[in-house]
Amino acid sequence: MERRKRVRGDGANRGVEENTMAILDTSGFNNSKISHHLNDDRLAFLEAVRTASLLPDNGSAPTGELICKLVDRKMFDAIFHILKDVDSLDLIIESYQLLVELDKRFPQVYLSKGEHSGSSSPSKVISQLVAVEEAWLPFNLGLDSYNEKGETKNHPRSSMDSSAFHALIQEVGKVAKEMKSEAVEATFLKNMLLLQYLITVLEGDFLPRNSTYQESMNWTLLRESLLNMLLGSRKILYKGLIKDCLFIMCHLSQSIVFSGETSYPENSSGELSDETSSALALALPEVKKSTCTVLKKLLSMIMELDSSRQAADQQGLTTRADGVRTPVVFDPKWKLEIIIQYFQKYIPKSSVQTRRSSATVNIENFDGVLKCLSNRNSTKSIIKKISTEVVQLLLAYAFQAYLAISYEHASEGFSDAMKNDNSDSVGEVCNKVVSAFTCLRQEDPGTEILSVGKEALFTAATILLSKS
Amino acid sequence: MANIYEPLDFEFEEPFRISPPPTKKKKKLIGLDDLLVDYEKEQKRLNDKKSKQKKIRKVCDAEQEISQINGDEEMPFWGIQVFGNQEKLPQQVYPEIQSSKLLQSFMKHKINSLVELNIERGENFLQGLLADGWLLHLIYTSGCVEKSIATWTFNLMLYSSKLELMEAACEFWCTILSHKAKADSSSIKIEWLPTYSDLESALQTYGFLLDSTSRHSSDVDMVPADSVAAGPPQNIRSWIKCATFCFQIRNAHIIFSTQEAEDLLVIIISLVLDRQLLGLTKLLSGGMLSAINFFSDEEWLDSCKKVAKSLAYRLPCDINCLRVVESITGVDQRSKQLRSAVAFQFLVTCLDEKVCDAEETLRLLISINVKDKKCDLFKMYIYLSLAENWLSFDTMLKDKAVVRELWGVCLRNCSCGITITDLRSYASNVRSKASYLLQGGTSK
Repeated sequence: MERRKRVRGDGANRGVEENTMAILDTSGFNNSKISHHLNDDRLAFLEAVRTASLLPDNGSAPTGELICKLVDRKMFDAIFHILKDVDSLDLIIESYQLLVELDKRFPQVYLSKGEHSGSSSPSKVISQLVAVEEAWLPFNLGLDSYNEKGETKNHPRSSMDSSAFHALIQEVGKVAKEMKSEAVEATFLKNMLLLQYLITVLEGDFLPRNSTYQESMNWTLLRESLLNMLLGSRKILYKGLIKDCLFIMCHLSQSIVFSGETSYPENSSGELSDETSSALALALPEVKKSTCTVLKKLLSMIMELDSSRQAADQQGLTTRADGVRTPVVFDPKWKLEIIIQYFQKYIPKSSVQTRRSSATVNIENFDGVLKCLSNRNSTKSIIKKISTEVVQLLLAYAFQAYLAISYEHASEGFSDAMKNDNSDSVGEVCNKVVSAFTCLRQEDPGTEILSVGKEALFTAATILLSKS
Repeated sequence: MANIYEPLDFEFEEPFRISPPPTKKKKKLIGLDDLLVDYEKEQKRLNDKKSKQKKIRKVCDAEQEISQINGDEEMPFWGIQVFGNQEKLPQQVYPEIQSSKLLQSFMKHKINSLVELNIERGENFLQGLLADGWLLHLIYTSGCVEKSIATWTFNLMLYSSKLELMEAACEFWCTILSHKAKADSSSIKIEWLPTYSDLESALQTYGFLLDSTSRHSSDVDMVPADSVAAGPPQNIRSWIKCATFCFQIRNAHIIFSTQEAEDLLVIIISLVLDRQLLGLTKLLSGGMLSAINFFSDEEWLDSCKKVAKSLAYRLPCDINCLRVVESITGVDQRSKQLRSAVAFQFLVTCLDEKVCDAEETLRLLISINVKDKKCDLFKMYIYLSLAENWLSFDTMLKDKAVVRELWGVCLRNCSCGITITDLRSYASNVRSKASYLLQGGTSK
């Protein structure tokens, strides 16, 4: 009887807060009639939180105080609990959306211009990292004593530790693998959204820390990042986590590609369930795609963390407690690097210079690899060791990665002179790609050019035509 | 048998009885005593059952009463039919793609001896280039999207039933449009841009029912001649994304006129009423935001009003209008203004009176007698919610003393006029909403 009252207290925010408690109190009801009301209440609660916290005008950056006042920890907890607990599509979508918006509006870590830092040199404005203490987090990584005690005794804390995070990834992976295109499920959607939200939080915490680290070389900032604590946790196997992420991405993108013709939901009995299933059929491909994107983001954050950490290692800032990890590779830059390293195994040592220290190294090395492949003798010796098909595949993907990198460089605002220089080298690489394929054909006349090879050739030739 | 009398068994049917294992054959004759025992047993069972049913009925009555006292009236589900049956998506052949510069110039190139491309299979080859991401690389280096490629990919995005091609084409368009959004828009030249009617006709093909002129009626039953299935198809996702990016390019006015942009915004907002699109809420609110930011400052206030009026005219004034108002996120100034304006227009339309001014509207709300047995409290609940949104998101109105005072009177009418024992439907929803708002208002 208490749960529908959102009256008492001394203001809207208090009212909302009471509502929060009310929702948590009734989470035990399972009777269908009551659960309908429960859903009504939860929706009303989410809308009330949105109105109370997101809508007031507030030009200035939020402070810790504001967050405590407006978006109470309990309230966050309740929303997160709803996202984890429900299977109604309305509530899943609404609670996810609200969490993401709150996270955007009230970040737990942000940069502020360093005016208050009292720096003696005003000419150099160093952005200051502000981490809001007491901010609610969906993670419970065990280092925060406040979290461990658990200030709420009446309901189980909904925040997740690293093993729960890994379990979630495994669960998504399991369903993604088994998923047939016609089987749609709200829980699957919910788990993907939950994962997306968690990674958004990791990102919101990591990015400002990492950019401040680049300036200040203060490793502690990164050591205390959620991402680092999550990966460093002994409750999970780092390698397994990465493998599972790749596993999901692989299966999800396959299921998008191979779902082929769009299927129309069958008109089955029950209007409501029909609506839900067609809503799921429309939403799932979208959410699968965004899950892939978000996982890609997670992996590149991990790479960033690793390279920042390498820099910290070199300066002796890390300790043994920071552990050791094998870095992950996932980026056009890294893709190119791997392929080149692979080729170099089969290329006569003398012909390729291996020099690594600057960013342009792999591009230079790619040039070297292409030179080798354009040479009939060395091509002959390479295709003795690996099949022409594999060479084609690697060549095509390396070329694509090269194009992505060179475009990135061009759009990063280099001067026109640099651009011209760059486009010249693109032309040169295109020429070499063409001659490498030609050479392959000459050495192995029976070979079929794969479709990806043809596409690469087409691209190279067309770029050359546009340059001439 | 013992579990029949569980305390919380509300079932009225005969309890399921496990039949006793068949005895091996009755050896003795049935005596009179046996019959008597059986009869007594049966009688006892019937009595028990009666008393149990009475008990159950009592419990149920009590529960109903409690639920009425508690005002636990279920909120109806929102949702209207936004899409009827879709037409067969046009799967045209694009002969012009064969004459595209991209294919033609390559055909003459000597390297074609390796690729062995013939022009008849040109479209297939291009599909591969698109799906594997080469096409974008080619656009980046050439800095230009020729017309035939633009229309071909645009049609794949909106009409292809092959998901892979649809996704790749959508990615292609979103990328090239987002390049046009940057300050340095000279980097990629697009020789053909979609128009409003391109987007609109796609929506018609998907079976969109709420066109801009007609008012919504729930009994629409239009089946297009060439219909294949219930709309919308998966391509609706691409449609929303493409519209979103079209609004974001610099000089988006070359794609849409102001009125077309208003119409599109109305369409995007009405899409939130389709329960099938529930999972695409994020895409839809993204679309709304970029549409809202299309307008120039001079246009905005006028357009905002027009959009609000059009929505209130076209969409039903029931639980659905709350869904519409709440779908406008209010994360920036303009979307707050829009949320307020839409709530106000719905309120005026619901009240069905010729009011245009804030005070008048509030006086009309005050004049509703909630004590009257005939008063429709569900409607009152909707009025309150609409008025709340209208007033709290309008920064000008919020601080007006007269308005605040009238709003206070209105809320007190509802919170004091309805007693806690009022058993009417939605009585407690109205009362608690009003008291909640009253509390929130006074503390500020």
